[in-house]
Amino acid sequence: MKKIITLDINHEHYEVAVEPNQTLLDTLRYQLGLTGTKKGCEVGDCGACTVIMDGVTVNSCLVLAMQAEGRQITTIEGLETKEGMHPLQTAFVEKGAIQCGFCTSGMILSARVLLDKNPEPTEEGIRRGIAGNLCRCTGYQKIVEAVQSAADGMKEGHQ
Amino acid sequence: MLLPKFEFHEPKTVDEACQMMAEYGASAMVLAGGTDLLVNMKKKLLSPQHLIAISRIEELKKVDSSPFGLKIGACLSVSDTASSDAIGKKWGALSAGAKALGSPQIRNLATIGGNLGTASSAADLPPSLMAYGARVVLKSSARERTLPLEEFFTGSKRTTLADDEMIYEIQIDEPAPYSGAGYESLGVRSCQDIKIVNVASFITLDGPGGIIKSARIVMGCVGPTHLRAHSAEKILVGEKPGEAIFARAGELAMQDATPRGAAFSRASAGYKKDMVGVLTVRTLGTAWKEATGERN
Amino acid sequence: MSQYDVIGTRAPRVDAPAKATGRAIFVDDMSMPGMLYGALLQSPYAHALIRGIDVSAALKLPGVKAVVTHKEAGLVKYGVSPARYDETIFCYDKVRQVGDNIAAVAAVDMATAVEAASLIKVDYEELPAVFTIEEALADGAPLVHDDYKRNISAEVHQEFGDVEAALKECDLIKTTSLKSKRQDCAFIEPQGCIATYDLSGNLTLYSSTQTTHYVQRSLAMALGAPVGKVRVVKPYVGGGFGSKASASHLEMAACLLAMQTGKPVKMIFDREQVFLHGRARHQFVHTMTTGVKKDGTIMALKHEAWLNGGAYSSFGIATVYYAGSLLGGPYKLPNMKYDGYRIATNLPACGAQRGHGGVIARSCWEQQLDMIAEELGMDPLELRLKNIMTAGDVTCNDLDMSSLGMKECIEVVRDASDWKNKKGKLPQGKGIGMACGFFVSGAGFPIYRSETFHCTVTIKVTEDGGTAIVSTASAEIGQGSDTTFAMIAAEGMGIPLGMVRIESGDTDFGVDLGAYSSRQTLMTGQATKQAAENVKMQVLDALSKELHVPVEDMDIKKGYIVFKKDKPDLSALKTRYIKEHREWTDNPSLDDELSFREASRIAFFTKGTIVGTGMYKPPELGGKFKGAAVGTSPAYGCSAQIAEVSVDEQTGRITIEKMTDAHDCGQAINRTSVEAQMHGSMAMGLGEALFEEVKFDDKGRLLNGDLAEYKMPTALDMPPMEALIVESHEPNGPYGAKEVGEGNIMPTIAAVLNAVHDAIGVRIHELPLNPERVYLAIKEYREKNAKQ
Repeated sequence: MKKIITLDINHEHYEVAVEPNQTLLDTLRYQLGLTGTKKGCEVGDCGACTVIMDGVTVNSCLVLAMQAEGRQITTIEGLETKEGMHPLQTAFVEKGAIQCGFCTSGMILSARVLLDKNPEPTEEGIRRGIAGNLCRCTGYQKIVEAVQSAADGMKEGHQ
Repeated sequence: MLLPKFEFHEPKTVDEACQMMAEYGASAMVLAGGTDLLVNMKKKLLSPQHLIAISRIEELKKVDSSPFGLKIGACLSVSDTASSDAIGKKWGALSAGAKALGSPQIRNLATIGGNLGTASSAADLPPSLMAYGARVVLKSSARERTLPLEEFFTGSKRTTLADDEMIYEIQIDEPAPYSGAGYESLGVRSCQDIKIVNVASFITLDGPGGIIKSARIVMGCVGPTHLRAHSAEKILVGEKPGEAIFARAGELAMQDATPRGAAFSRASAGYKKDMVGVLTVRTLGTAWKEATGERN
Repeated sequence: MSQYDVIGTRAPRVDAPAKATGRAIFVDDMSMPGMLYGALLQSPYAHALIRGIDVSAALKLPGVKAVVTHKEAGLVKYGVSPARYDETIFCYDKVRQVGDNIAAVAAVDMATAVEAASLIKVDYEELPAVFTIEEALADGAPLVHDDYKRNISAEVHQEFGDVEAALKECDLIKTTSLKSKRQDCAFIEPQGCIATYDLSGNLTLYSSTQTTHYVQRSLAMALGAPVGKVRVVKPYVGGGFGSKASASHLEMAACLLAMQTGKPVKMIFDREQVFLHGRARHQFVHTMTTGVKKDGTIMALKHEAWLNGGAYSSFGIATVYYAGSLLGGPYKLPNMKYDGYRIATNLPACGAQRGHGGVIARSCWEQQLDMIAEELGMDPLELRLKNIMTAGDVTCNDLDMSSLGMKECIEVVRDASDWKNKKGKLPQGKGIGMACGFFVSGAGFPIYRSETFHCTVTIKVTEDGGTAIVSTASAEIGQGSDTTFAMIAAEGMGIPLGMVRIESGDTDFGVDLGAYSSRQTLMTGQATKQAAENVKMQVLDALSKELHVPVEDMDIKKGYIVFKKDKPDLSALKTRYIKEHREWTDNPSLDDELSFREASRIAFFTKGTIVGTGMYKPPELGGKFKGAAVGTSPAYGCSAQIAEVSVDEQTGRITIEKMTDAHDCGQAINRTSVEAQMHGSMAMGLGEALFEEVKFDDKGRLLNGDLAEYKMPTALDMPPMEALIVESHEPNGPYGAKEVGEGNIMPTIAAVLNAVHDAIGVRIHELPLNPERVYLAIKEYREKNAKQ
């Protein structure tokens, strides 16, 4: 039976009626129109549906909408500010880290959490941080470079 | 891939959860991280009528350390298990297992209790926990019982857990002085892999540079459930640690392993056996280093 | 300094901001009012007769709007190669693979559609099935298609020169083989589509496809719809790599359901269906015999290939031809004999994947060349340099290397990797290996016989002259073609990239054969360049009449008119522009330069909307023998790669430490995008080399139809990769450009095979090089050596 819940997404509150068997992913995409979160495998293997929930990345295909109630959720749509794109988004654009773009949302969100925890990651650290996001286009090379470049830029920005 | 229909319950306390388990019995399943359960439900392998979500019960996410050891709540996430200082300081092989599991996103959802409850012989956490001699505390509305993890697993995907029971806590004793442990897993990929073989070893020396007082070696993917390499353990006891005796233990562990030669499994039985030998030697090496290292 | 203003730069991709922010719309992100959801009913059996289909229970389920089977779909045969149309929209007499399509349902939501499909009762009579090449060829084996005797769906027999005679003159003759496994394209976006049908009989399909044109043709043919009433539109596509290059049953079913219901119908594959219907890389078994002279001169190649093709032909005829023809270069090879066989089995059908047909053949040969070099006591890199072709060479099978920087590629990777100090000098367990390869820069002929242009491009300048809109039916699938054509258009018109907007992937924009065979940069690029130059000429022509300056005395660069001789008085023109636009906010400044924008506004006054057109089809290409059409191309891209590996000899686990790669793309249009294609190719090649294998059980059912058990590389599995661009300036390409999308996957597997040998002394002749295979090879090698 449907139940009305409140989801806190990108610092906005959404009241939605959801079925118990409805995933957070489907709710974001088909009910709230937040289609930046992608559906690639539906069983937690590809990472395209990655969102940030209470500060950590999760596969939103493996979270029930009802489980997400009361938690702070960030999707790719929540990364931009009035000033424009997040430094990671800018770095992905400038460094050529985006090809088909289907893994990009999840990849950027994983990188964001990685940099939150470790602003000066090594190459190995970056690879570990994005290891749950499969990409078939880039071989990850320019993605790693973009994350490194964003980390460098953000560090300078703070100084 | 749609989930089958079910009723969703989110109890606030362990007691409330236990009452629900008592009420719904076999028609209910506990939802912790969901990384296995929801996948199996999407694949229509499971279709419980009730899901009882326990991942928000704070009591189940504790890591209590005392001079006697650790009490870990069943819903501690695998990533918190991996990053916990309390765990990493004295139970490094458990941290290593947690770090080897799945992907960052999976580790953030998956729980230590869930990894045990699934009872997969390829799981990353049981080997080290068994090597450390961990116990599980099981709760139902009627009773609470504590048993060695080894006795918890009864077969492939099978445990002693009753329909109305849930995993409450994992207890690990403080390792004796001059002990150490190691965990190694072998997969095809560097991460996000279901393992071909995994091994954890734990040894205790009778003093610096002394002989091995006790040893536990646990092997995964080579039997219906995680297996102890009893003959390998036996030969180590009373010996001075070293490459030669570790190699001998590796050979015996291979004999203790009973992989099935299934036609469509991830690797042949012969290869799995050989790898048990390799990983046993390697984990004993790590354990020895720790046993003689600065940690004591 | 480059002679170009836009080309050869690292301009950020035009689609990147939309993709970085989640704004880019892929097909599953779309929905329409009243949209229904479709689901397929698929065969659980690999081979079975269909005795009857009962849809009554499905039709009764509330929410179901239509159920279609072969009765509604008809029995028109279609496929990819006209010579092997062997599919119908739905199976009617029998099923030939697990997943074969029986029926489709449209309902108000996905759950209802899936449930309804499960209510359809099919009466099957299971038949014996064949899954391996050996089983399919065995005496008395059941036939997958009655037309394919002995289950041979296609065979090729070619000889150029006289191989037997040449082998008699050789000092060393080597025979080896290589067996691969079926690979999956494993793009992250599963195929999906939305079909709509209006009251005028217009069918529009929004689809995740690489080839809108072929999908349009196939839909019209199979559904019996007038081709002019069928429109195919491609939103952003999450990777293709070959699997999205032909019309799928999903697209057919969605269209049929939309026509039946009059409502938009959405259908999306789940991941298992991607594996069942992906039609990706075949399994190949190659055996090759090469003869060389003592000095390393390659004299002859005798080659036999067996392909496990699965249940339908798809691209398979082209695949089996490519497997032979792509060995004609890049080494001088005077004599070549090829016998190729594609075998039909009851596994899911195979088709095209990056490096179509040529990848495993190349891997087999490049490993063999290394073995020959070793026996001759030559550096394998020197052996290759000794035999290398250069621009102007023509292969024995008539492939014209109109440009070829193969030698430069080898030299570049040799120096960048420090080959000379590493080859044969690394410690046990560490190794270095190299290989080369080349690929077509666009198939010389369409898949169906036709005189059609392969692409047409239109560029329209907006009324104010401020934006040039490029319209092309070509397919941006992630490779960066939109950016490439926007850059070519900007260069061709002489305006900044920011003034160009590109609209692509819609059959309404003209003809474009699509993103396959690495054709778009060269072919669509040529058409775009022509359209851009056409716009430029029209603007200059109008300007010439206004200013009385001959056209040849003017040019357009960086958005401004260049007057090669005396600059005329421009004030009148500038004033006219301002008068026209006095209420507008962003008018050009009143300096003494005349902008493209002002000039094209002036041109609009006399010519109306400025529309430039361009078109391309390849010139007459060589080869008159049977099958010459597969492999001929206006140009060939080539690459050399060096892999550095370490091997854990106790477990057999390989770690790729580094890849050094050089590719000759003729002229980089966008340097970042060229490198990105090189990286992606290597990653796919490394996945196939080390991990990837689609597995089936003894009933032909998928064992690993998910991305957990089908192991494509993660970020942690990939090494640092150095991509080095070589530019040979291709005379047939736009601004000298040619392909990079596929040629660069050719050397990867062999470079790894050769590096593994360098590390541990073992030659392995079966893929993938997973830990168990490598471990067993080491064990066997040691046991053999111990006996000796």
